[in-house]
Amino acid sequence: MDDLVLQTITRILMPFIQVYGIFVIVNGHLSPGGGFAGGTILGASVILYALTFNVGAAEDLYPDDLAEAVESSSVLIFVLVGLFAILMGANFLTNIGIFPSPETGTLFTGGFVTPLTLAIGVKVASTVITLFTHLFGEKKP
Amino acid sequence: MNDPTVHIPVIVICTSLIGAFLAPVLGKYRPALVGLMARLIAPVNALLLVILLRYVDAGETFHYYMGGWAPPWGIALSVDYLAIYVALIIHLVSAVILLYAKDDLFGEVRGDLHRWYYTLFLLLVAAMTALAFSHDFFNIFVFTEIATIAACALIAIKPKKECIEASFKYLILSTVGSGFILLALALIYMVTGHFNLTLVAQNMGAAAEAYPLNIMVSLALLIVGFGVKSALFPLHVWLPDAHSSAPSPSSAVLSGLVVKIYAVVLIRIILTVFGGEVLAAAPIADMILIIASVAIIAGSLFALAQTDIKLLLAFSTVAQVGYIYMGISLLSETGTMGGLVHIFNHALMKTLLFLAAGAIIHQTGLRKISDLDGIAKRMPITMAVFSVGALSMVGIPGFNGFISKMYLATGAFDAGKPVFILVILMSSLLNGLYYLPIVVRAFLGTNAEEGKFAKDELPLSMTFPLVILGLACIYFGLLPGSLLELVRKAAHYLIAV
Amino acid sequence: MNIISGLIQNYFYFASIVIFLIGTHVMLTHSNLIKKIMGMNIMETGIFLFVVSIGYIRGGSAPIVPIDGRGVRFINPLPSALILTGIVVGVSLTAFALSLVIELYKYYGTTDSDEIMEMRRRER
Repeated sequence: MDDLVLQTITRILMPFIQVYGIFVIVNGHLSPGGGFAGGTILGASVILYALTFNVGAAEDLYPDDLAEAVESSSVLIFVLVGLFAILMGANFLTNIGIFPSPETGTLFTGGFVTPLTLAIGVKVASTVITLFTHLFGEKKP
Repeated sequence: MNDPTVHIPVIVICTSLIGAFLAPVLGKYRPALVGLMARLIAPVNALLLVILLRYVDAGETFHYYMGGWAPPWGIALSVDYLAIYVALIIHLVSAVILLYAKDDLFGEVRGDLHRWYYTLFLLLVAAMTALAFSHDFFNIFVFTEIATIAACALIAIKPKKECIEASFKYLILSTVGSGFILLALALIYMVTGHFNLTLVAQNMGAAAEAYPLNIMVSLALLIVGFGVKSALFPLHVWLPDAHSSAPSPSSAVLSGLVVKIYAVVLIRIILTVFGGEVLAAAPIADMILIIASVAIIAGSLFALAQTDIKLLLAFSTVAQVGYIYMGISLLSETGTMGGLVHIFNHALMKTLLFLAAGAIIHQTGLRKISDLDGIAKRMPITMAVFSVGALSMVGIPGFNGFISKMYLATGAFDAGKPVFILVILMSSLLNGLYYLPIVVRAFLGTNAEEGKFAKDELPLSMTFPLVILGLACIYFGLLPGSLLELVRKAAHYLIAV
Repeated sequence: MNIISGLIQNYFYFASIVIFLIGTHVMLTHSNLIKKIMGMNIMETGIFLFVVSIGYIRGGSAPIVPIDGRGVRFINPLPSALILTGIVVGVSLTAFALSLVIELYKYYGTTDSDEIMEMRRRER
């Protein structure tokens, strides 16, 4: 698809969509939202890019190798954060007392919730993009 | 709770998960290491579970709270004998299957997909272990789904159209099953207000009195939902295709473990959550008993008609799942023990048979039973081990299949329903009718090439697991003491609550 | 009479069950594989609607304590959390099913399950 209007509007819209996605992710513990919702919004911006330019361009923007590494490592981060609590002598995924949690209303109020939400967000965004490019490009999964 | 042993259930689940997600990255740069890692994880986990078992033996069973949050807020894992027993089976059997998979995969799965195969396998193992330990409807739902997707993908990874088709069929039917399960959970949550199994069980009496319809409908939905996934007889239609077309290691894990996990979860929910009052209000146990009997007979009859060796084994699984349901719905101590022992024994036997069939296919490419004349001359070890599995299936004394059948028969007698002994005897006869001809044909077949017994040309990584499983079948047939001790405790957990 | 008034008062339960049944019907009766997947999604949507409506209170808000500490009526987050997970599972199931359909299309050149059955029968 080669349409100047669409491409220009996509160029303008993409940063806004991505900033909104990041906002939803990092605000996950303070307001409704979080990794799943924010990650999908982030992924949707790249899908928009793929639709208006072409799927190959999106694959160049976000190659498969990177996707594999990102998806694996974000799950590993989640598990390792959980295991870290065991190392400190508490139960799996213990938050209070292990991770610092400053006063209400700041970014890291939730202790490990913000980093974990970030990991989920990145993972979901990556998965949405790879699902789209693989199904659209009909590559072998 | 300061003893590090209490964390073992979580660590076991986590190591499998870590392995699953390391595999694709590791496999890209060091393909040789992935298989090694997968083969290390399962035995190490089994060892950890044995340590946990010792710990529980010394003290008592406990609940593990994620993040230190007690229910109703937190997620609980129930560390009881049933869970440890099932988790041990999962890790022991999958360790053997992974050993076997090393060389077999080269014939069945494209080389660049091997790392994904290990990812899916370890993910499936993690999900099944989590299902065994879960004490929470939420987690049961989530891990059921993970296990379903991983199991479907393990079938579809083989690039043949039968596999894709079987996987699609499995996926669609499982989705209907999961939909039913989710609906049932919603109905239970509606009237009890909890997802934690203990809290739901506490509120069940009052809820059943006030809203009997909700409870009954949710029970029916649960039985259908998990029945589809565990291939309870009339809902088994997806199983034969899926289990026979998959790569042999996948067939073994699907038939030996996955199907039973759902049965265990269903039974745990029915017996510990719904409990005696609801079971007394409706003849649930009797209904399952009758369905299971039909499953045993019908599965065996279908198997009798098969000409493909893996299809035969798949239909035999339908019958064997019936045994497990039958044993537990007898509601007597020995009957429950029989059902639980059969989970272990069948996992051994069916894994053995599927792997042996896989070895035959790997070596000769033959799948038709009529082509197997004199195959034992070419593959004596494989066929000897296959015979052990077949004799176990029939229930010859001295093999492990006999132990479970004996307990099932005693259980039926104890429960005052001796008619089911007849079902067991009849199915043993049918098992003999379709398993023994294969053995006879393989050893005494006429159109075999002339000559003496040759040595199997299988790699050691394929014969070793087979021999291990064969020896285990005989060992647990002759000296089942320690196994029965553990099973008795697990059965007490089910009956007492 | 009791049943009818119950249905009207709990119209959201009724609607979700209707959607569930439509989805199941589509899934089990249509031979087109893509339609089967659509039916799967419709069925799931019915369940999601049902579960979310269990936990919803009219006028309630998300259970996050406001900074100024105003007393608000909170909605039970557990059904919503369950459904969020359910949606994610649904997406992955759909994606997986679609990729299987693509593979099937490569082998058979059709997405109709009846035609695939016919072809398989002819092969034997």
